[in-house]
Amino acid sequence: MLEPLIHLRKVEKRYANGVRALHDVSLDVKRGEVLCIVGPSGSGKSTLLRALNGLESITGGEVVVDGFAVHDHRTNLNALRRRVGMVFQQFNLFPHKTALENVMLAPTTVLDVPAADARARAQALLDKVGLGDRGASYPAQLSGGQQQRVAIARALAMQPDVMLFDEPTSALDPEKVGEVLDVMRQLAREGMTMLVVTHEMGFARAVAHRVIFMDGGEIVYQDAPEGFFGAPRNERLKAFLGQILK
Amino acid sequence: MRPSMKRWMWHGVYAVVLLALGFGVYLATARVDYDWRWERIPQYLVGTEGEEIRAPFDGFVDVADDGKSIVLNELKGAGSERYAGFDRLLVGDGDLVFQNDVLARKSGLQAGPLAVGLWVTLEISALSLVFALVLGLVAGLGRVAQNPAARHLAATYVEIIRGTPLLVQIFIFYFFIGTVLSLSAFAAGVAALAVFTGAYVAEIVRAGIEAVPRGQMEAARSLGMNYAQAMRHVILPQAFKKILPPLAGQFINLIKDSSLVSVMALTDLTKAGREVVSSTFSPFEVWFTVAAMYLLLTGGLSWLVRRLEKGMAAGA
Repeated sequence: MLEPLIHLRKVEKRYANGVRALHDVSLDVKRGEVLCIVGPSGSGKSTLLRALNGLESITGGEVVVDGFAVHDHRTNLNALRRRVGMVFQQFNLFPHKTALENVMLAPTTVLDVPAADARARAQALLDKVGLGDRGASYPAQLSGGQQQRVAIARALAMQPDVMLFDEPTSALDPEKVGEVLDVMRQLAREGMTMLVVTHEMGFARAVAHRVIFMDGGEIVYQDAPEGFFGAPRNERLKAFLGQILK
Repeated sequence: MRPSMKRWMWHGVYAVVLLALGFGVYLATARVDYDWRWERIPQYLVGTEGEEIRAPFDGFVDVADDGKSIVLNELKGAGSERYAGFDRLLVGDGDLVFQNDVLARKSGLQAGPLAVGLWVTLEISALSLVFALVLGLVAGLGRVAQNPAARHLAATYVEIIRGTPLLVQIFIFYFFIGTVLSLSAFAAGVAALAVFTGAYVAEIVRAGIEAVPRGQMEAARSLGMNYAQAMRHVILPQAFKKILPPLAGQFINLIKDSSLVSVMALTDLTKAGREVVSSTFSPFEVWFTVAAMYLLLTGGLSWLVRRLEKGMAAGA
């Protein structure tokens, strides 16, 4: 592989009140790689993910995504964000639009795709996430799992190079988690580059190429799943896994 | 007692209290020997005098032989004007008339002073409403903007307007801004009301935008939309739904506040009421009538808004 798709070097994030959210984070992600990020809450996982598309600004270091220097204030972040899809814990679907309109909105407004084309593509994406028959439903009429699948379709509608998942199943009822993970598993099989912040260790073990453990704003440990979940040589990770897998 | 009977009993209590209040008003007026003359009021709502035909310039009248048409010949100059189709002639052949004299009347009904005042109030309110909405939207967006200049300008505007009485603002608009920009009383009134209401609308808009969860803006931006696109397609449609009730309340206030423009040379409903009082000496009847006419406007507006809300609720 040539250039990494995502390149982070010595990234720092410190809030105005002095709290350190990220410290000395360096990371390279290749095209097609599936990366899971785990760690206790407040460890900086979400902040790291949000730094990748500029939703969170950083205070030091470099973030380069898909050729865009995110840390540079001259970079057009809107152009970057067209190439980077994001899925949120709380879905954040647009409640005043139907499922189909949610998926169509960005392509029609940002890329000026003709409505008919956008509609056809949105329908195909809803089919893909198993909701082809729910296009006319409003978010409030859908279950959490269905909403999150629409949210994934919405992000895919921009045909991104990378997909960022910020705890996509944490707000779901346990029985709805599987349907969302299935969609993500299928995406991974298709070769999508994915960064997934998650507590679903089973998913990380089965799908990820690499798992990263963060604590206190730092990357403490990273390894392929076999090593990560097998015999990690790190006490903090061992303690964390002990807690989670209990 | 059965629940339904109990409910009816309380409806009865409501009616009794209203009747008692009405009787109280009657007693109070009887105490001061007030002479109710409601029959004087209708002529100020609908006039039966007929529409007037007035002379556009000074001149001599030339009445046709059949009396069905007249020609007015200009006194200084060669201009002349022919009038026909009137029902009552008020001048004779060869009369010298001056500009604005009434030449003749057409029969039929025309709006009385109170109805004209109602129309002026409606016009002022509707125009101010449109401008206030635009101004409030701009200032509200300024309040939530990142740009310090926009934020501070909007905040200053809101603070100044909300911190001073509307009546004082109307005087400033009429005597200062109106004079500097040579605005008519009507334009000054509309401007004062729009600027005043706009400040309150700005705060309502700001609250509405802030009530939309942060995740909505983040989701829109993460899809590559710029700030304006996210505002237009995602945030404002949701905010508008939330602010419709307080906005309606503000516009009802606007209609009522418009009565203050009667301090300027502007014959709105309130000013018309004052004029009618001075010619009828029936203040009680006139002011009750004027109040009812305001109630008609505000009630109509709340009814419209309720329908709009229902329509939007149906659209999920």
